Amino acid sequence: MSLRWQLKYISLRHPYLFALVLVVVAALVNYALQPNLLEPRVLNGNLRSFLPLMIVAVGQAIVIMGGGIDLSVGAIVSLVTAVIVTQMSLDASTGHILLVILLACGVGMAAGALNGFGVALLRLPPIVTTYATSFIFSGLALWILPRPGGSMPDTFARWYRQAMPLGLPLGIWVALVLVLLWYFLRNSRYGNNLFAVGGKAEAAYATAVPVTRVLFSTYVLAGLMCALAALALTLGTSSGDPRIGSAMTLDSIVAVVLGGTRLSGGQGGVAGSILGVVILGLIRNIISFAGVPSWYQTLVDALIIIIALAAPGLVQLIRRRRIS
Amino acid sequence: MSKTHISLSAQHIVKRYGGVLALADGNLSVQSGEVVALLGANGSGKSTLSKVITGVVAPNEGALLLDGRPMQFASPQAAQKMGIAAVYQELSLIPDMSVAENIWLGHQPMKWGIYVDKKAMRAKTQALLDLFAGTVQDSLQPDEPISALPPDERQIVEILKALSLDPRLIILDEATASLDSRQVGRLFELIANWQAQGKAIVFVSHRMDEIFRVADRAVVLRNGRSVGSTLISETDEQALVKMMVGDETIVPRQLTLDSISDEAPVRLKLEQFHSEVLRNVNLVVRDGELLGIGGLHGQGQSHLLRAVFGDIPFTGTMILSGTAVNFSHPRQAMAHDVAFVPGDRSSEGLLLIRSILENFQLPSWGRYGFPLKMGQARADAESVADELSLVRSSLDAPVNSLSGGNAQKVVIGKWLRRRPKLLLLDDPTKGVDVHTKREFYNLLAHLRQEGTAILFYSSDDEELLGLCDRVLVMLDGRISAELSGDSLTHARLVSASMTADHVKGQEMRSGA
Repeated sequence: MSLRWQLKYISLRHPYLFALVLVVVAALVNYALQPNLLEPRVLNGNLRSFLPLMIVAVGQAIVIMGGGIDLSVGAIVSLVTAVIVTQMSLDASTGHILLVILLACGVGMAAGALNGFGVALLRLPPIVTTYATSFIFSGLALWILPRPGGSMPDTFARWYRQAMPLGLPLGIWVALVLVLLWYFLRNSRYGNNLFAVGGKAEAAYATAVPVTRVLFSTYVLAGLMCALAALALTLGTSSGDPRIGSAMTLDSIVAVVLGGTRLSGGQGGVAGSILGVVILGLIRNIISFAGVPSWYQTLVDALIIIIALAAPGLVQLIRRRRIS
Repeated sequence: MSKTHISLSAQHIVKRYGGVLALADGNLSVQSGEVVALLGANGSGKSTLSKVITGVVAPNEGALLLDGRPMQFASPQAAQKMGIAAVYQELSLIPDMSVAENIWLGHQPMKWGIYVDKKAMRAKTQALLDLFAGTVQDSLQPDEPISALPPDERQIVEILKALSLDPRLIILDEATASLDSRQVGRLFELIANWQAQGKAIVFVSHRMDEIFRVADRAVVLRNGRSVGSTLISETDEQALVKMMVGDETIVPRQLTLDSISDEAPVRLKLEQFHSEVLRNVNLVVRDGELLGIGGLHGQGQSHLLRAVFGDIPFTGTMILSGTAVNFSHPRQAMAHDVAFVPGDRSSEGLLLIRSILENFQLPSWGRYGFPLKMGQARADAESVADELSLVRSSLDAPVNSLSGGNAQKVVIGKWLRRRPKLLLLDDPTKGVDVHTKREFYNLLAHLRQEGTAILFYSSDDEELLGLCDRVLVMLDGRISAELSGDSLTHARLVSASMTADHVKGQEMRSGA
């Protein structure tokens, strides 16, 4: 293998390497500005605040690897949040809590199934489909919970906020579990099919890959991830806001791109997306500790997306210049 | 009888695409241990027939008998389950996945039921790759991404992918097109092995020498009908060509025009013209000449026209109107009065939702100043439309409201406004009705009288025979023959399309 293909091979197999470098750099800058960053309490709080987006980004990554995109993840998070806080406050028994968690997962997956129906079965463009459904989900969220409020069972919420199994922050455990699950998925037949569908759907179809089923499943998985993220959000704040998810859509896409997953699909991974979320969180910390107005965050997000989208074209342009 | 035994018989298959009859009466039978070559001229329906057998398209009529029982394949997967695998020209590989992942996609060796056994997959891939050992580069390894492979190795991976299914019937659709002679030799050894193992093979190829090397029997299609099945040992090349062409009918001349004298000025001259696809193309077109380019689909004809138009880089000499040029952009070709009518008019020739007027004037707006002299532009467009007898409600109607033939007139009309000296036509009458074709032929005659040199690629052999005085036949990016006068017959055209006999072509070349 020539050096060029070796580099390409590494970037195909280990898309998170670039994100890893960025995490280290961002963490060092953050540490310089905020010396107590590594204290367990601060670290746990930080990681816990990254958790919901981390889970959503994993769902988004799977959809993008399958060749689609989900612009409704934020709205699904809002919808499930509304469901959880209105139902949880009714009864604090363990049985009821479990029932609400199951209900939340069901709502998230149903929302994802609606997206999957539009994209995989009706063959509508994913951007249009999920943008449209996002209005349905946000509308439902506001109908269920017209204004911020509600509550969560105290014991459950306190456990979530203080839990540090084996002395490690909960955020790290969740990230580990997600990466481990992805590792198994990636090495299953489903993982191979996912990359094939995202890489070249017609070729996958001609090779007997169940393209429709794979596409549909990515949106359902994303919906499930949104439900889990909503659970983490409500536990973190002990209340619900029917608009809480709206910022997460763009953030999740930025995190996936930062993590080395190509927006055109067929390549990438979950570990990189998780690192992408950490990078975004650290940049947010840096901006707030450096005393820069917080709306710069949006500018940074936009720049990351533009650079990520333009990068392949820029590389081509430079190469062509060099030839002529 | 072992479970590998297979017999498949397609009987009286009919397939229509919209109103077009692609296959009128397709018959093919093949059984274990047999290599059947499927051949026919352009548009004879051979790829449609092979697609019916592999379940890619569903036939409108006819029966498919597998092991004596009637069968209907809903999808390629259904055919695969019955042990039928196909190797296509249009590759079905995923560029960013590795060789091993591509070959075993959908039927990976599994560990504990859920987990892809990568070690076994790699070993099995290596075993398959070893079949072509010595004919490929050492870099072709199981973990190599497909995007890193050259075309011949991709084609080999495609063949191995079909083989990994351990099929009973393999259909090779032009699978040798991008292989070199050593790789083809190895493939033929493998085909002999498969034959001995009791597999059945259908071999679609346009290379006559290969058919005679590998096939036992040949099935010939002509105009969507099976016209014969013959043992290879009992036939020869001429007989096969005759079956493909039918009774040697004289194609009526569509036009009678004075032949071009050798004194007419040379408009375009190509010498040792090479590109990614083209190999040593030499040609001369004189003013007022209609030079035909023929051959099977995708032998470099469109590529040649694009290279002349500055759309594709080339090496070699190109002399246009007496000066050597090397265009790097179509704009430069346009400035030298060259015009190009692309093959795919809806994607490359027209702005479908814009008006006829805008499409006509698209290359010419520069002549109308600023602000645009719309009255003048409209009057000019009207005159071109009249010249072409374009059927229209108004010049402001969108082009997609026109029929195929009238839309093609707009593509040509936009160049007529510029009075080109050299017109490049890429299969311009595809999907055009007979009446419009007639008008189009008259237009070509008119242009010739005005002295326009025309380079005319057509996939319709009769059109070439009926319109051109001289036809160059292309095969694998080369000019395989030059036909004119008495040598310009349908049989010679078909035979030159299928025989890689460059030497003969070069000898026949008239001194230019």
